[in-house]
Amino acid sequence: MFFPTQFPWAKDQSLGEHLEASGVSRRDFLEFCGQMAVLLGLTEMAAPRVAAALEGVKRPVVIWIQLQECTGCVESILRSADPSIGELILNIVSLDYSHTLMAASGTAAEAALASSMKANMGEYLLVVTGSVPLAEGGIYTTMGGRTAKDVLVEAAAGAKAVFAVGACAHWGSVQAAKPNPTGAVGVAEIIKDKPIVHLTGCPPIAETITATFVHYLTFGALPELDSDGRPLFAYGARIHDQCPRRANFDAGQYVEVFDDDAARKGWCLYKVGCKGPATFSPCPIFMWNMKTSWPIGAGHPCIGCTERNFWDTMTPFYNRLPNVAGLGIEQTADTIGAALAAGALAGVAAHAAATTVHQIRSHRKAAAAEGAHDGQD
Amino acid sequence: MTVPTPRHGPAPPPMADSPLFPLGARFAPPSGNYRWVEPWGAPLRVMHWVAALAILVLIVTGFYIGRPYFMTTGAPPQYLMGYIRLIHYVAAGVFVMTGLVRVYWLFAGNQFERLPALFPIRKRDWVNLVTQVKYYLMIHPERAPHYIGHNPLQQLSYTTTYVVSIVVMFTGFAMYGQAAPGGFFYTITQPLTLAVGGIQVVRLVHHLCVWWFIIFPIMHIYLVIRKEVTERGGGLSGIINGGHYIRADKQYVDE
Repeated sequence: MFFPTQFPWAKDQSLGEHLEASGVSRRDFLEFCGQMAVLLGLTEMAAPRVAAALEGVKRPVVIWIQLQECTGCVESILRSADPSIGELILNIVSLDYSHTLMAASGTAAEAALASSMKANMGEYLLVVTGSVPLAEGGIYTTMGGRTAKDVLVEAAAGAKAVFAVGACAHWGSVQAAKPNPTGAVGVAEIIKDKPIVHLTGCPPIAETITATFVHYLTFGALPELDSDGRPLFAYGARIHDQCPRRANFDAGQYVEVFDDDAARKGWCLYKVGCKGPATFSPCPIFMWNMKTSWPIGAGHPCIGCTERNFWDTMTPFYNRLPNVAGLGIEQTADTIGAALAAGALAGVAAHAAATTVHQIRSHRKAAAAEGAHDGQD
Repeated sequence: MTVPTPRHGPAPPPMADSPLFPLGARFAPPSGNYRWVEPWGAPLRVMHWVAALAILVLIVTGFYIGRPYFMTTGAPPQYLMGYIRLIHYVAAGVFVMTGLVRVYWLFAGNQFERLPALFPIRKRDWVNLVTQVKYYLMIHPERAPHYIGHNPLQQLSYTTTYVVSIVVMFTGFAMYGQAAPGGFFYTITQPLTLAVGGIQVVRLVHHLCVWWFIIFPIMHIYLVIRKEVTERGGGLSGIINGGHYIRADKQYVDE
């Protein structure tokens, strides 16, 4: 949970000094470093090195801009499983500008953004949540009279690296679903000349963001990314391959409706449309809300929210396959296929009947002609 | 390679009417001079039947994987889906191997099996395509061109089957590769997966392709049997023994 701190991180204070001043014990800090090391795919043996690197970190400046979005990503991050330290690292540090969390508003907030960008040119990390609407000159999201695109381009110009947090910053999310009336695009469509890491999900898990942050502070670089720009330590395996219900999948044991006996037994949600086989996310391991639960753990199929275009390709959420659009009414692949196959069978039967009639007639004609010919001999 | 085998003697007398099966009993088989041609090499025949069996197994197991129609009860170690997926992947491997044999035989086979025989590329093929369609619509069927290998309509549908096979294999490997990101199958398929809009689109294409392998055999088997019944050339056994008898007094477009 987020609480305003009484111990602000002074500009030239190292993180170690700051944590000590805030009353965080060495034990808690090492425990946090150990967790982060494991999340990043390192061994716990790496924890002292992570700790040593983090301790010496001077106050990093983070600017957090929110564009066309629902603020759900911020909500998720405020529920980081290790609030005391995760909060210190993410929220306190980042509050040079975050218009949801900061106290200032209006002109004062914009002035804080401008002065921070100017003072830390080329040094700060830029966190972006939300998509960039481009239709009609970008009028669908404006802040202080400027479009989201202007705000993003200006903020990114002085950034060292960009964290694109959430599905909106990744590809546009729900507002970019067909027909995308606002022309929403992700951050990478606008910003081409900065290193960008995508922390996808609608919303992403807080620990994914914290761990990526720790990686950046420890190693001074973004973590290794997958083909869609996501950190491999978190998005390197499918939900399906990490799922606690995988044994039921392999056994052939499936929930068919949400209140059947199989659902009560906690069987696999494959038949009610689970997109776990198509979704790369650490949900089964990290879980949500301080490791309380996660969608499949709560008996709901995965909707695939960490994947690009999921509003278009993962829907209907309770079916395995997307619908085939453009046939007047939307149809599933198997309905169409079965109809075509039935049509082929009917066509073949009709053709066989016509062939039979045609054969009989032509043979009769031939026989009659031959008979006439025989008569002339 | 063709050995003429003339058949002598007068036409057999017309047979008596049979109320049960008018076509078979009433009309004698056509007589005349026939010769033996052998267009289908052994690799092609073996590949055809192995692929047919693999496709059948792939369809049955694939439908289970797409929408599991049996369930097991009781606690694991049940492993129904696991075994079905194993069978699906093994059959897929066999299917891909038949594809490799076919690709090899596109270059090593005879004139009826080589790459140019897959496409109606010459102008005469397109003219013949129209008469061939008319043949199936029973409009002047006697004007249809005669082919020893595949007629233009067959070329189109068989080549479509090859194209669909490539798509279905590629989409299958794309889904298979998802379990091992960074692995061989993932690496070769992922750029296209992202380009088409994600793995769910790939999954949809895989499902749609399967219906070609259901609809095509319906028509394929029907037309082969129909030709066997109406023309009685023994073409059906050609895919088993490699050859069939053709009329010696007719001209063949692809000879």
